[in-house]
Amino acid sequence: MTASLPPRWGMVIDLNRCVGCQTCTIACKHHNATTPDVQWRRVLDIEQGTFPDVQRFFMVTGCQHCEDAPCVPVCPTGATYKRDDGIVAIDYDQCIGCGYCAVSCPYHARTIVKDQNWYYDQETVQEQAVAQPERIGVAQKCTFCSDRVDSGLTQGLTPGVDPEATPACSASCIAQAITFGDWNDSNSPVNRVSEGRGLLQLNAETGTDPQIKYLYETPAVPGREIDATSDDDRRMDPANPLVGKRQEFWDWRAAMNWMLGGLSSGFAIVLYTFYVTGALDAATLARGNMIAVALMAGGLLSVFLKLGRPERSWRAILRPHSSWMTRELYSVSVFFPAVAAGYLWQAPVAFSVAVAAAAVFLLCQAQILYKARGIPAWRAPLIPYMIVASGLLEGIGLLAFLIGLPKGFPIELTGIATTAIVLIIINAVLWKSYRDGATHHGAPPLARAALAECDHAIRYGGHWVPLVLFALTILAPQIPLSIFTIAGVALIGGGAFWKWTVILRAGYFEGLHLPKTPQRGSGAYAAPARLDGWRRDATSFGDNR
Amino acid sequence: MQNSEKKHVPVYCYQCVSGPDLMRVEVEKGVATRIESNYDIAGAHPAGGRVCVKAYGLIQKTYNPHRVKQPMKRTNPKKGRAHDPGFEAISWEEAYRIIGEKFREVRAKGLRDESGFPRLAASFGGGGTPTQYMGTFPAFLGAWGPADLGYGAGQGVKCYHSEHVYGELWHRAFIVSPDTPRTNYVINCGNNVEASGGVVGIWREADARNEGTKRVQVEPHLSITGAVSAEWVPIKPKTDAAFLFGLIHRMICERGIEETCDLSYLKERSNSPYLVGPNGYFLRDPATEKPLIWDDVDGTAKPFDAAIGDARLTGTITASGIEVGPDHQVWQHADIEVKTSFQLLLEHMAGYTPEWASGECDVPAETIRRIADEYVAHACIGETVEIDGRILPHRPVAVMLGKTVNSGWGGYHVCWARTMLAVLVGALEVPGGTLGTIVKLVRPSASRTGSCIPGVDGFMKYEFNDTSANGWHKSPDIRNAFDTLIPIASNSPWSPALGPAHLPWLFMKEPPKGMPKQTRPDIWFCYRTNPAISSWNAPEVAERVAEFPFTVAFAYTMDETNHMADILLPDATDLESLQLIRIGATKFFENFWRHEGWAIRQPAVDPVVDCRDMTDIATALAEEAGILEAYNEAINRGAAGIGLRRKGYDYALDPTEPHNRDTIWDAVCKAASHDTSGGEEVHDLAWFKEKGYMLTDFPELDWYLYPRMEDQNLRFEMPYQERMTRHGRELANRLKESEIDWWEAQLAEYAFMPVYERFPDIWMNYAREYDRDPAEFPFWALTARSMQYSWGANVGIPLINEVANNIAGHKGVVINRTRAAELGIREGDRVILESVSGRTEGNAVLREGIRPDTVLMIGQFDHWKTPFAKDLDLPSLNSLTDLSLKLTDSTGSGSDIMRVKITRAEDWSAAAE
Repeated sequence: MTASLPPRWGMVIDLNRCVGCQTCTIACKHHNATTPDVQWRRVLDIEQGTFPDVQRFFMVTGCQHCEDAPCVPVCPTGATYKRDDGIVAIDYDQCIGCGYCAVSCPYHARTIVKDQNWYYDQETVQEQAVAQPERIGVAQKCTFCSDRVDSGLTQGLTPGVDPEATPACSASCIAQAITFGDWNDSNSPVNRVSEGRGLLQLNAETGTDPQIKYLYETPAVPGREIDATSDDDRRMDPANPLVGKRQEFWDWRAAMNWMLGGLSSGFAIVLYTFYVTGALDAATLARGNMIAVALMAGGLLSVFLKLGRPERSWRAILRPHSSWMTRELYSVSVFFPAVAAGYLWQAPVAFSVAVAAAAVFLLCQAQILYKARGIPAWRAPLIPYMIVASGLLEGIGLLAFLIGLPKGFPIELTGIATTAIVLIIINAVLWKSYRDGATHHGAPPLARAALAECDHAIRYGGHWVPLVLFALTILAPQIPLSIFTIAGVALIGGGAFWKWTVILRAGYFEGLHLPKTPQRGSGAYAAPARLDGWRRDATSFGDNR
Repeated sequence: MQNSEKKHVPVYCYQCVSGPDLMRVEVEKGVATRIESNYDIAGAHPAGGRVCVKAYGLIQKTYNPHRVKQPMKRTNPKKGRAHDPGFEAISWEEAYRIIGEKFREVRAKGLRDESGFPRLAASFGGGGTPTQYMGTFPAFLGAWGPADLGYGAGQGVKCYHSEHVYGELWHRAFIVSPDTPRTNYVINCGNNVEASGGVVGIWREADARNEGTKRVQVEPHLSITGAVSAEWVPIKPKTDAAFLFGLIHRMICERGIEETCDLSYLKERSNSPYLVGPNGYFLRDPATEKPLIWDDVDGTAKPFDAAIGDARLTGTITASGIEVGPDHQVWQHADIEVKTSFQLLLEHMAGYTPEWASGECDVPAETIRRIADEYVAHACIGETVEIDGRILPHRPVAVMLGKTVNSGWGGYHVCWARTMLAVLVGALEVPGGTLGTIVKLVRPSASRTGSCIPGVDGFMKYEFNDTSANGWHKSPDIRNAFDTLIPIASNSPWSPALGPAHLPWLFMKEPPKGMPKQTRPDIWFCYRTNPAISSWNAPEVAERVAEFPFTVAFAYTMDETNHMADILLPDATDLESLQLIRIGATKFFENFWRHEGWAIRQPAVDPVVDCRDMTDIATALAEEAGILEAYNEAINRGAAGIGLRRKGYDYALDPTEPHNRDTIWDAVCKAASHDTSGGEEVHDLAWFKEKGYMLTDFPELDWYLYPRMEDQNLRFEMPYQERMTRHGRELANRLKESEIDWWEAQLAEYAFMPVYERFPDIWMNYAREYDRDPAEFPFWALTARSMQYSWGANVGIPLINEVANNIAGHKGVVINRTRAAELGIREGDRVILESVSGRTEGNAVLREGIRPDTVLMIGQFDHWKTPFAKDLDLPSLNSLTDLSLKLTDSTGSGSDIMRVKITRAEDWSAAAE
């Protein structure tokens, strides 16, 4: 490492020094004027083990300014970006408050404040003086106090050394537990303080390469490997700060986009498939596509209503090169006019373009959820397949539903039940694999419990019941068409229900994983005895002056 | 004040006893916007010039919309929690007029009442921090005459009481600290320094921890300090004395003194070789009455200060001399068998084996042995270190005690054992060892090492309150009777608060036999304190507060105590007022500086409400009382921190004229800077306002008492407590003569060396006082310091509450998770805690780091009046503890602990129905 490289700002947190005093938290709140309950720099009080073998320690958390920051590519507007010096920043004027970055963060480091609020029951003049209205409705998080860093550099100061140029948390820390500096400079405090000592990164397995690194050992006491098999009871305890909270950024309105979006795009694909095979005529396809448009628009409107800054929603078209959310909008922008053209002119080209756009839309929906890396239940590898398979199944469900309606739906019935059965089996297999693999893919116990709670309803209501009903239509062709409607409702409901389950009920954040901890506490956790071992030299005090 | 520019105003924060810390207030357009550390002093401050979390609450404190906005007077004569005081806004002039009338009425009647008690009383918050904010109010009190400062607000229970008095007696240690930068091994019985040690404590401890210092934390719950210690030993509450006695036994009885002790230290710096006669008193030279030491070189007994070849430490010797007992009773002895005090120590400790200790304190005997062995192994006996050119012993081991450990019954035992552990290895007051930080009872108060002067018997001078037949105060000076009952409390300005500060509240309810009638003070001033919340049995104290006829409360917001007041005076808060204070040198807790000097607190912003600076209020009150001249003279003598007229300078105020705040503090600034610089730099108020502080060097050698002890050939008064026991027995004689029998349990505590009692039984059996079965109350209820709250009186500040809630336990009652499950209690469940004398309730916080027989409530926050705080629904131990002589030890101290039972609120409600 040399100082000639551009700076790469980072932090070292010393778990042996931190005492959880909250000075960094409150200094951050002062400097950054964050509103009630918004803590960019939070210190957790962590307890492990069972009495009388117990360990307690404190951990500074917040945005990790990851090298591979999952929040950056997902942002549909470019509001979240990484600076050349590694600081992950947010342009509040560009952010639309969609929350995608927030659910993509494995460290639950982002906040969206919807409404301005005050500490007392009324605003104080100080709160007036420091208010940051541009942060309302948009994502916010630790900036590494980039304003201090930038202005310090302008003044010739050294961030990490000169307090005025150092993030407020580090400059205020009364235990010297937070060291800031330039990883690219071997003389920087971050490199000096960690030289020759073990460092760990939070949730390193997610591959984000956080630029905050943790010291866990002292010269006298080595660290301890954490017990990976620690009991699920503690990992299911919401009071345990290592346990991820259930995300609240995407509520039912966001879930509606997956429910209606999957249904509509799947429907369009299914219709086109039957049209191509001759089972459906062009006019019916055109009418059906209009239903798909209505449903898709409903889902998008639902999302629009939950945006923190809907008036800027147009900005979501600015990140096609990395954000699946932008790509989803592009597909919509093709789908809607293509369907309209198909309806007006019933041109095969328009149908083809529409179905392609619908397919891309469905693919985008699959990827949006999958790329939200903060939520283990979403980033499971099967999720994209499930979204696509479910969309198709819901589509055929809608078709079945329409067939059974009194006015009917002019379509050749041959093959629908068979196709539905095949898709049900595919979805059932995917669901079971997803459920069985949840632990393997890192879904936390609370998420697994939520999945388990809904499993019966999904399997029986969403899979078995429609499977039997469709089988009946094959085995007993004389059966009333209303059976199709009932089966269709079950498929649509089942699809909506599993998405609702996964997005809302099982949408737990990652939580924090530490591979090692300091060695201290009671019983089995206590530091080793040192009768004749290491001792501090009487003159070492001079180093601290 | 200029409104246009952004500026950074230097001030200090002294919200907790570990202050002051210097900071800057960012002010923009006349509004204080942010707090930041004052990094200008980073190079001289032992913690890099930083301030802690509490300081950042001061902005919200300033702009709190719930502040009392102007003086108020009570309109409802009925006082009590249930009565609306009906406060009405009045002008400052009206407030002064009302108070002035009362002053004149009182002074006309006489400053003392028919019981001999001062008619004026004043109470302040703990730890002396209010002094750093009250401007020249001490000058007003000094000019007034006798005042009763003994109504406590938790003092004696919430503090480190036994350490204060015994520590000051034994090694000028009102507060004890490890020499953290040099210590390698610390046994810490419940001292939560990581929550209470302030910025410097946390800074130094973090350095030490990272450099490898091993700390063993011995406490029933895993505190913040326990969390960052190498080892947590979950001891049974109130049995620390047994644990420490077990350590001593292991060292001197099992392993032997040759292997474990610093023998030369014992011989030269302690009373270990003093010969003890058959009645338990030192064998003395008949001519000089000096204690005798046996010199093994020539086989004779010599006065302690004679040239001694090799002092005998152990064994039985035949010698002659006299013993001097209580009331100067003298026994003559010729050629009798006597023992050294160290021999008596060996015999005294013989029964306190690790196995015995284990049975008492629930710590395995092998753990006790291991910790004792580690302590000895780390003590480096025989090593030296050079400090400022002087060679001193290097003993990098220390023993610390927490507040509930060393207050109340058992406090004497643990303080003695802790000090003894240091003395045994020669680690008391030497580099790396166990140190004192500050003095409050001896003189001069500004210099700990300066107070190390010869007294009797080769020990440091210490003024016990007189217990002789002629000198004893049968009628106490003030209502808490510290001068009558507590010889060791001495008689300094701090002694009233150190005496049994809860006793006046108890005596008001149960007048003590043989003592003057417990009158109420005609006037009670209340400043930065809330005894109706912070006292032992706070609900009871609230009722007593309501009985006071005329209370003047300096009021920030409404609170539980000023709810009973007659006049509310809103004083300017931390960022609105002015004061210059001393900084640096050594202070509690871990403030060991290489500098000393002065720092200013100045108005960063204009007053937000119609408040006034305490200095201006004090001056106005002095005028109203007709004592202006005496008040000014008190300031001239030094009541504002330093004398204004001394040899070499004269900045004295004209005593006949009232002076405004800035004039007074300008004079103080000049005197302070003159004194600090030896006249080379004289700075006025404007200079201090700009610079913030002024420093001069403070020698590191003065961190340690040992050099002064060695220079004057003085000895630490350990292990044998002859002098204290003599005072105790004289006090017993006096009380017997006065037919006072309610202090006998306390008198029994005076012993030459502390005899272990089953201290937990005192609290367990306390249920019987209420004719209840102790088994009904199976849990120990404890409290703990909080970095975010301790001493801050800041529970009404939402920002502090927000960040404090990141630390477990602030939201309710901490209960062992497994034990809670057995009781059907889940996280967050509302639970009722009941003791024999009170109840409180809060939400269950389930943790593993607490003994199954213990529950913990951080803070004392069951407020019912203070805005914001009253809505937090938090529990408080203060509603469970009881005002009781049974729970009061011989130093007048109680302990923050109670036996309780726990019921889920829904079960409790169902049972009540």
